[in-house]
Amino acid sequence: MAALPRVNNGAARLLPVLTMLVAALATILPVRVPGYAALTPAFTLMAVYHWTIYRPDLLPAVALFTVGLAEDLLTGAPVGVGALVLLLARAAVLQYRRYFVNRAFPFVWSGFTLLAGTAMLGLWALHCAVDLSLLDLRNTVFRTVVTIAVFPAASFLLGRTQRRLMGAARLAGAA
Amino acid sequence: MIRPSAQFRAAVQRTTPPVLILLSAAIIMLGKADEAMFDSVRTRIADTAAPALDALSWPLGAAGSAVDRVRGVFAMYQDNLRLERENERLLQWQQIALRLTADNRQLRGLLKAVPDGAVSYVTARVIANSGGGYVRTVMINAGNDAGLVRGQAVTTGEGLVGRLTEVGSRAARVLLITDLNSRIPVVVESSHVSAVLAGDNSERPRLVYLGESNAVKIGDRVVTSGEGGVFPPGLPVGMVAALNPAGPRVEPYVELSQLGHVLVVDYGLSTALPQPVTVTPHAVRRGKQVAGDEAGR
Repeated sequence: MAALPRVNNGAARLLPVLTMLVAALATILPVRVPGYAALTPAFTLMAVYHWTIYRPDLLPAVALFTVGLAEDLLTGAPVGVGALVLLLARAAVLQYRRYFVNRAFPFVWSGFTLLAGTAMLGLWALHCAVDLSLLDLRNTVFRTVVTIAVFPAASFLLGRTQRRLMGAARLAGAA
Repeated sequence: MIRPSAQFRAAVQRTTPPVLILLSAAIIMLGKADEAMFDSVRTRIADTAAPALDALSWPLGAAGSAVDRVRGVFAMYQDNLRLERENERLLQWQQIALRLTADNRQLRGLLKAVPDGAVSYVTARVIANSGGGYVRTVMINAGNDAGLVRGQAVTTGEGLVGRLTEVGSRAARVLLITDLNSRIPVVVESSHVSAVLAGDNSERPRLVYLGESNAVKIGDRVVTSGEGGVFPPGLPVGMVAALNPAGPRVEPYVELSQLGHVLVVDYGLSTALPQPVTVTPHAVRRGKQVAGDEAGR
């Protein structure tokens, strides 16, 4: 992996992990819109995708594992399911990171579409395995669509905070 | 101090993700083998996060009520007409209820019946959902410190919401009646058919183990039966909304996506005076057809 610009500021180094925590908390906020609880966008997945493409050095696997476990414990899901999906997503994005680093947003968004589809399907399969019953797939499909639709907003926010705190004019990365 | 070599550190960094992946899989299987293993961890993390969630969710609740108020202003005229009609109907019901209460007291005296246990309530606010459609729970900002105990029923003024599954010191988790794991013994009021209300993560839970499925009609009121001592009997749950071959679907009285404040029912024997459960316009609106039929008689 080519060198990414060093970030010496301690607070800035923690930024990706902090955004992951914010994403986990955002997932459980009680928004009073009918049907929202079943269709909550997967904010943590969006954060993992963004940071693994642009600053994988600042989002280590251990932090991801911890945040994933915390999210599972807070949402009441079987412990470890969210952590597993996030870790696998990170591994997948790391593999193909170089195709997305210096590209325009629409390309990055379509990459996320692929990741979201696969990750949500995997999440559904895991829940079916843990519950030993076939769960409804329609809800997962709707939730995937909502997640993909909300991604531009999340990406915008993440990009802005990243740029402000790290002061980088261009997001450097491996060619 | 021994500094690990760069090679060693690189090796560790390379192997960490696969190790963590295996660790997550192991945790999933552990959680499956022993259901209660992570309960204490879960309650502890809920207690830790509860103050933050409480603060974060408060603006959402305030925004929700502000939106309601604006909507209320626009609907004021229609609401006024509707409320006047409901008020007339409720006054008729009040007369019937007073008469029935008097009869009830007389008959109980004749039978020397044992009085019901006193019921008291703890009010709490919903501070977190469970995001994603696989689990239907909410977190409330009251726990052991407020006297809550696992298994207690949670209601609003309109009907049953669910029951407490994990109770920490500052926060507790409520399993909603729509969750996949929720099973509630109920009875269809008009025909006295007992059944179990089984959630399946959809908006409308099903009635299973129905005694006589022919006796159930659309519009029937479903209340808790109190069987097994799980819930207090007579708590309104919902109305039969559809008759599917897999089982009738019940539309809950409570709007589960709009939960703000809830009441946790303590059906223990306490010396405090029982507090009345207020009937709100919403509950009457949903059961309007049934009420209209009976009051008109």
